[in-house]
Amino acid sequence: MSIPEGNVFNNMRIVELAGELGGYTGKLFADLGAEVIRIESIEGDPTRLEKPFYGEIAGIENSLRYQYLNTNKKGIVLDITSPEGKEVFIKLIKTADLLIESLPPGQLESLGLGYETLSVINPKLVHTAITPYGQYGPYKNLPFSDLTCAAMGGMLFLAGTENEKPALVPDKQSFFQADLYAAYGSMIALIHAEMTLEGQYIDVSLQESVATAQENAIQTYDLEGRIRRGLGLVEAGNGTYQCQDGYVYIVAAMGSNVHLWYPLVDWMIEEKIPGAEVLRGEEWGKSEHRKKPESMETFKTIFEQFSGMYSKQDLYQESQKRKVVIYPVNTAKDVLENPQLNYRKYFKERYSESVKGTITYPGCPYELEKIPWVLRSGAPAFGQHTNEVLTSLGYSTEDLQSFVKRGVSYVK
Amino acid sequence: MSSKRPLEGIRVCDFSWVGAGPSTTRLLAEFGADVIRLESKSRLDLLRLIGPYKDGIAGIERSGYFSNRNPNKRSIDINMKSPQARDLVVKLIQESDIVINNFTMGVMEKWNLGYEDVKAIKPDIIYVTMPTQGSTGPHKNYMGFGITMNALVGIHYLTGYPDKIPFGMGTNYPDHVPNPVHTAFAIAAALLHRKTSGEGQFIDVSQTEAALAVLPTSVMNYAANGKVQDRMGNRNLNVAPHGVYATQGDRRWIAIAVFNQSEWEALLNVMGNPEWANSEKFSSMDNRLDNQDELDQMIEEWTLKHKAYQLMDQLAQAGVRAGVLQNSKDLLEDPNLNERGFWAYLNHKEMRRHVYNVSPAHLSKTPVELYSPAPLLGEHTDEVLKEVLGLSEAEISKLREENVIG
Repeated sequence: MSIPEGNVFNNMRIVELAGELGGYTGKLFADLGAEVIRIESIEGDPTRLEKPFYGEIAGIENSLRYQYLNTNKKGIVLDITSPEGKEVFIKLIKTADLLIESLPPGQLESLGLGYETLSVINPKLVHTAITPYGQYGPYKNLPFSDLTCAAMGGMLFLAGTENEKPALVPDKQSFFQADLYAAYGSMIALIHAEMTLEGQYIDVSLQESVATAQENAIQTYDLEGRIRRGLGLVEAGNGTYQCQDGYVYIVAAMGSNVHLWYPLVDWMIEEKIPGAEVLRGEEWGKSEHRKKPESMETFKTIFEQFSGMYSKQDLYQESQKRKVVIYPVNTAKDVLENPQLNYRKYFKERYSESVKGTITYPGCPYELEKIPWVLRSGAPAFGQHTNEVLTSLGYSTEDLQSFVKRGVSYVK
Repeated sequence: MSSKRPLEGIRVCDFSWVGAGPSTTRLLAEFGADVIRLESKSRLDLLRLIGPYKDGIAGIERSGYFSNRNPNKRSIDINMKSPQARDLVVKLIQESDIVINNFTMGVMEKWNLGYEDVKAIKPDIIYVTMPTQGSTGPHKNYMGFGITMNALVGIHYLTGYPDKIPFGMGTNYPDHVPNPVHTAFAIAAALLHRKTSGEGQFIDVSQTEAALAVLPTSVMNYAANGKVQDRMGNRNLNVAPHGVYATQGDRRWIAIAVFNQSEWEALLNVMGNPEWANSEKFSSMDNRLDNQDELDQMIEEWTLKHKAYQLMDQLAQAGVRAGVLQNSKDLLEDPNLNERGFWAYLNHKEMRRHVYNVSPAHLSKTPVELYSPAPLLGEHTDEVLKEVLGLSEAEISKLREENVIG
């Protein structure tokens, strides 16, 4: 497989210390053509043990999340706490543009591999560290998970109304958010390094990354002294309603904007829905009126008589013709069958030797005209590229055998 | 001397509005890009009309929803319906590095400002379009919002409790992080490419596709195993307990997640080793996963007797993963966020001192700096026309008389 010529990512080498965090950061670079060398500890990336598994069979190569996060990467196994492992790591750092890591604050320093040391070895290095609460601050050592970071960053509190207990969004969004900011910050630092030959250190906090997704909640407290919770089902015309075969999410009400409200009401009048004319009244253009419990009940009764006659996909497509916003609440099956995504060939399929089967992946988040997103290879098997990478650094077969024997490395 | 603002000298001709677009250009402005928003009194950014408002009083210069998405930017008031507006835009594009919009497809083309038109004006331009569903395909003209994207890609269906209608995340989440940060990453990649090759390029972001890129496992699971995943509250397929539990106080909850046997033992110690926990039903991870209804109920009976923050401290000291479900007030008062300087207070002409967040990516040598609050609509019209486009006072007055600018 060849990478098109002239791609700036083509000449980029990235070292990623594998952990639960940073995997998506590395993937964004790898999918655009960068060489990403992922160093796993002897214990392996904990993501390998996560359900759901391919074929529903537990196994260190079968985790779908692991498979997704590590496309197009090389994987080596190395104990960087051992003297030999440190030496290999330092050789790699000399050739790297970017280091992505998520060790607890201070751990790399305690190994003698902190940024102070690495930046002497490679002054142009961008060192990106992703941690739950950042490198400094009173919470820096708090034990964490996606759930606790979603809580401490404020995202969970918003996922409910009134006194209702909120629910967690799937797929570890707090990790994705931090990994995304880490990737963007790293790109900016790489631009700076390209111009000035000066590398730098980047401290990314999950808690802060999550707190950027507060919508207007922070300003609602700062400017109006109110603590808000979630949107949806707090105002007539915004939220989840039942239809013939499931649910739809509608946005007809939006502050004092009424351009989405009247086309929906007129549609319901056209369909002779009992009571729909009421919703033409001027008071419905105001948020205060729509937020009254009786208004919400009135709207729901009227709207669900209408939506109950149609499927979610029919409502979706017809609403767009009428400049009305009704979206289907899709299941995974619906998403894979979505005609737009299929037209654009969004999902990518590739045979994986690791799982002995074809994996379907979400595809590119963006299309760059000159930097193609290509699925060149699946996630590396445990130790798949140890031999290749260490050989390229000048280690002999005997060295490798000795590393493996002493538990410093693993070769598949 | 190197510039301390890595994007200094990069100019963005910003047609974007509402959520995902302005959030993207905010990320560029934070690092020093000169982002010039093209606004119009006759077609207001919807966010200027959505609260919260300073002191609760509505006004197009009073929205905190708008302000936090637009620090460090300039605003010009230009009436795109006027035939002469395009000439001004052409001049601005000639002085720009990036042109961005998040309109539905066809709007830029109607003004003859599609990619091919713009490339003819400025050959090395980076042209970014971010319609909800991409620039090709049967749904390319569809309109939608972040929160409806949640529904379309499956986030909404999966967020909530299995026995209730799906509630979702309660926000326009894709607008806040997945779409802007993916797009900004792509733009930065294109800037690096231009530095080394001199070439500009076209960037097409389908907001749906960028959101789906961070929701991989449910679609992969269906494709691989034919399984339609359902929502499961705060639970996890792999470990238990993994939940949100009520504590003392109104709307006060704590999140607790136990990933292995030693963390379970640690939790039991903090709970004072209650008798119920001795049951075989909770003796291993598999057994706990099988008996979660009862497990969660027993834990909540205990958490209800405690204060959330005190409990978090005790659990953290014992090595148990725990976190308070912080609300907006808690976040503004959070000692960790404050010590790290995550909140910045800027002085806005009409709103006065009010809060913004800074970037969660802290670059040691080129840190983000918020140096100006969100612009008033048209605050920089004259400044930009004079300094960037080189127009004279007389020319500006004439354009204003002819309603080309406000």
